[in-house]
Amino acid sequence: MSVKETEGSSNYEYVTARVKKRRAKLFDDEDYRKLLRMGPGEIARYMEETEYETEINALGSRYSGVDLIEYSLNRNLAKHFEDLLRWADGRLYTLIARYLRKFDAWNIKTVIRGIYSGADGETIAEDFIYAGEFDRQFLDRLAEAESIEEAVELLDRTRYGDALAAAYADYEDTGVLIPLENAVDRTYYEGLIAGVAETDNRANQLYADFLRAEIDFRNARNVLRIARSGADIDPEEYFIEGGDLFTASDLAQLSENVDELVTFVRDSTYGDDLSDALDELERADSLIGFEHALDVALLEYSDRLSHVFPLSICPVLSYILAKEREVENIRAVARGREAGLSQEEIEEELVVL
Amino acid sequence: MFETMLAMVEFGVLFAQGGIDALTPLQAITENGMAALAVGLAALGAGYAERGIGSAAIGAIAEDESLFGTGLIMTVLPETLVILALVVVFLVG
Repeated sequence: MSVKETEGSSNYEYVTARVKKRRAKLFDDEDYRKLLRMGPGEIARYMEETEYETEINALGSRYSGVDLIEYSLNRNLAKHFEDLLRWADGRLYTLIARYLRKFDAWNIKTVIRGIYSGADGETIAEDFIYAGEFDRQFLDRLAEAESIEEAVELLDRTRYGDALAAAYADYEDTGVLIPLENAVDRTYYEGLIAGVAETDNRANQLYADFLRAEIDFRNARNVLRIARSGADIDPEEYFIEGGDLFTASDLAQLSENVDELVTFVRDSTYGDDLSDALDELERADSLIGFEHALDVALLEYSDRLSHVFPLSICPVLSYILAKEREVENIRAVARGREAGLSQEEIEEELVVL
Repeated sequence: MFETMLAMVEFGVLFAQGGIDALTPLQAITENGMAALAVGLAALGAGYAERGIGSAAIGAIAEDESLFGTGLIMTVLPETLVILALVVVFLVG
C-alpha cells in the first residue's frame, strides 16, 4: 500500500486558505481558561457549542463524561484530517498523506496493544482514529484479529509488513511489545522523509528540516526516558534513522548520562531554540516540562515556516500539529478534572503557544 | 498561454494578408496590432493572478460564507490591469 500520486499540480492556495481559517478557529488561551474550571460534563456541553458540535451530538447517546469527550475528539480529528486529503492535489496530497500515516502507526499500535491486553474487537475499534491511509474496512478486519500473529499477517501486504514480521520473532522470544511498536514507528519515520529531502524547492527543504528536527526530538525524548527509567534497555534499538543530530552510537553513549546529553543538545544547532527547555530540565529535573518545551519549539517553528512560506506544505503542517495539540490539551483537561487534579497541575500538562 | 498563441497566429495572418512588402522592415506589426497585443498580455497577467487569488478565495468562502463579498473583490482586483491596458488602445487608435 503506498500513497497514490493524484493528477494535476498542487492547489496550495485553496488548501492554505481553508487551513488558515480552521487554524484560527482552534481553542485559544481564553477557552482553555474556561475549560480548566469545568467538570467533564460541562466540558462536553461547552464543546457542543464549538467545532465539536456534530461529534458530541452523534455520540452523546452512546457515551457520557470523559469517554464522550475523548471519542468526539478523535472523531473530529479524523474528520478534519480526512478533509485535508480530500482537498489536496498532486504533490501536496502526497506530502500530507505521508505525514498522516502517523495515524496508521497509531492504529496498528492500538490493535497490537488491544490484543495483548485481551480486549475484544469492538473495544479496539472504538479507539481507532480513522485519519490515516488504511480504510475503515481494513482496520475493522484488523480489530477482529484473534492474535497478534494474525494481525501481523493481515498487515503483511502493507508497508509495515516486513518490519513487523521481523519484529514478531523478537516478540515471541521476549513477550514484550516494544519490538513491534518500534518497528511500526521506524517504518513511519523512514517513509516520511524519503523523497522530501532531495527536492530543490526551498520550502520543501525546510519541511524536510522540520521532519529531521522532529526525529531528533523524538530520539532525544526516548533517550531521556530510558535514562530516567533506569531500565536495562539498549537505546540503539529505539533509534530512529533520518535525524541529523544523533547517530545510534552517540545515543547509546549519551543515555548513560543525562548531563552529557543536555550539553550535547545545547551545543547542537537546536541549542538556541531549546535553551529554555534545557534550563528547565537541569533546574527542575522534570521530564514533562522538557517534553512540553520540545513540543512548543516544534509548534513555534512550524508556525514561523507557515508565515514565511504561505504557499507550501508548511501551513498545513502547522495546522495538523496545532490541531493535534488541541485534542491532547482538551483530553488532558477532561482526564485531569475527572481524576481530581488541581487547576495548576492540569495547567502544567497543557501545551499552549 | 492561450492568449499568447492567439497573438502569434494574429501575427502570422498579418504577414500572409498584407505580404512583407506592405510593411516597412522595422514595422512588422501595425500600431493597432501592438496595442491589441498589449491588452492581450495584460489580460494574460491578470488571468494568472486571478487563478491563485480565486482558488484561495473559494477556499475561504467554503469555510465561511460571509467572506463572499471580500473574496469576490479580491479576486477581480487584478482586472484593473486589463482596464489600464485598454487605455493604450485609445492612446494609439
